[in-house]
Amino acid sequence: MMRLLAQQIREVLGVVAPLVVVICVLQLTVVRAPTALFLQFLAGSALATVGMLLLFTGIEVGILPMGRFIGAELPRKGSPSLILAVGFALGFATTVAEPDVLVLARQVEAASDGAIGAYGLTYVIAAGVGIFAALALVRILTRISIAHLLAGVYAVMILLSWLAPVEIIPLAYDAGSVTTGVLTTPVVLALALGLTSVLGERSAEDGFGLLGLASAGAIIAVLLLGLLP
Amino acid sequence: VTDVPTFGDVGRTAWSVVLAVAPLAGFFAAFQWLFLRLPAKEVSRILVGSVMASLGLFLFLLGVNIGFLPFGRLIGEAMGSLAPGWLFPLGALLGFVTTWGEPSVRILADQVEEASSGSIRRALVVPTICVGVAVAVGVGMVRIGYQIPLLWLLVPGYGLVIVAMCFTHKTFVAIAVDAGGVATGPMANTVLLALALGTASVIGGPDPLVHGLGLVALISLASVLAVMALGLLVHWKEGRKES
Repeated sequence: MMRLLAQQIREVLGVVAPLVVVICVLQLTVVRAPTALFLQFLAGSALATVGMLLLFTGIEVGILPMGRFIGAELPRKGSPSLILAVGFALGFATTVAEPDVLVLARQVEAASDGAIGAYGLTYVIAAGVGIFAALALVRILTRISIAHLLAGVYAVMILLSWLAPVEIIPLAYDAGSVTTGVLTTPVVLALALGLTSVLGERSAEDGFGLLGLASAGAIIAVLLLGLLP
Repeated sequence: VTDVPTFGDVGRTAWSVVLAVAPLAGFFAAFQWLFLRLPAKEVSRILVGSVMASLGLFLFLLGVNIGFLPFGRLIGEAMGSLAPGWLFPLGALLGFVTTWGEPSVRILADQVEEASSGSIRRALVVPTICVGVAVAVGVGMVRIGYQIPLLWLLVPGYGLVIVAMCFTHKTFVAIAVDAGGVATGPMANTVLLALALGTASVIGGPDPLVHGLGLVALISLASVLAVMALGLLVHWKEGRKES
């Protein structure tokens, strides 16, 4: 594990450095924030770098294998309804737990003058994500073309955007971003890839698309709510 | 300066990580109990890795919140008082380097390289998503400057996605929509959102919230389009080689 950490150090420095350099240059030219705040920025950058190092190493060591094990085990235990339930539960639970979702839900509550309650909305978004995550796993099982499925989903999204009230639209599309937490992403990807690895006749690439569909689920859920009288 | 970090920030960040880990831990525990029955060695590896990743996420989010977030806002405000010609290039530059540091983008690119047995390289996927976000943030900043309605960009944009989908190889379609999801990770949600809100508070008209929001939607859309474009390019090159 120490070797893995050492490998990651160079990588992580290369990942964070460009942003830090650009902010430093802007600080010297146009921003000119007080020194104390700039020092706080440097301290924050150091924390973020160490954090990313541990994050990437931990994902490699524990999170990805966890997703792979679960994904590979799913079809062995048979029933498609179990896979459906797992997809829904995973999408629903991780979304309800995501703090950004509640922040967003409060904004929607404010934009709709309290007509849409924040907690109710959280569950609606989570249900949207859960349903679409389940749909994505079914797609892997049934080999429905991702292009056909997405074309339909995006067409519905465009149609709803036209009908929904204008002030709800930015919030709805922002909801799409809250479904992809840093820890959920590797679990979901590894789970889907693990699933494709044990099902015959599927290329490994069939495992992608789940995150995108889950995002669309959140967007459609908020747009639908906006349509309610 | 009002942005001095407090113990409240630390507690909130810690709590948000606990909330993010809890469902995954419960999920794994249920699976291990009911079906998996992995040996203790594997379970302890998964536990050690999860604890490490959670601690890392906590430090990362804390660092982003106390370090990058206030500067996103300050840079945004500074951009609002520059000549409008600066909105696109500076927005694009910040969009690129922020996404370069987005953890989820790296995770997706790693998995793509692995799943494609190295044929779709990470070194290709990451810059492609960064370019997509760069364009999105540039356009998003210009949108704030000129108060262009979001719908005018989103509807044609997603229309274009549907059209492009018919011509792009299905592997790239799937990777593209995932890219749209991961491009809007914690970095974009703090740094780039703060940037947009900062600029909107200076030049964005009466309601900075309405005009500042929506950037995230553009980032997601542009990442999808960028990866589809990469897919078209890759297959066009392969096609030329064969003929």
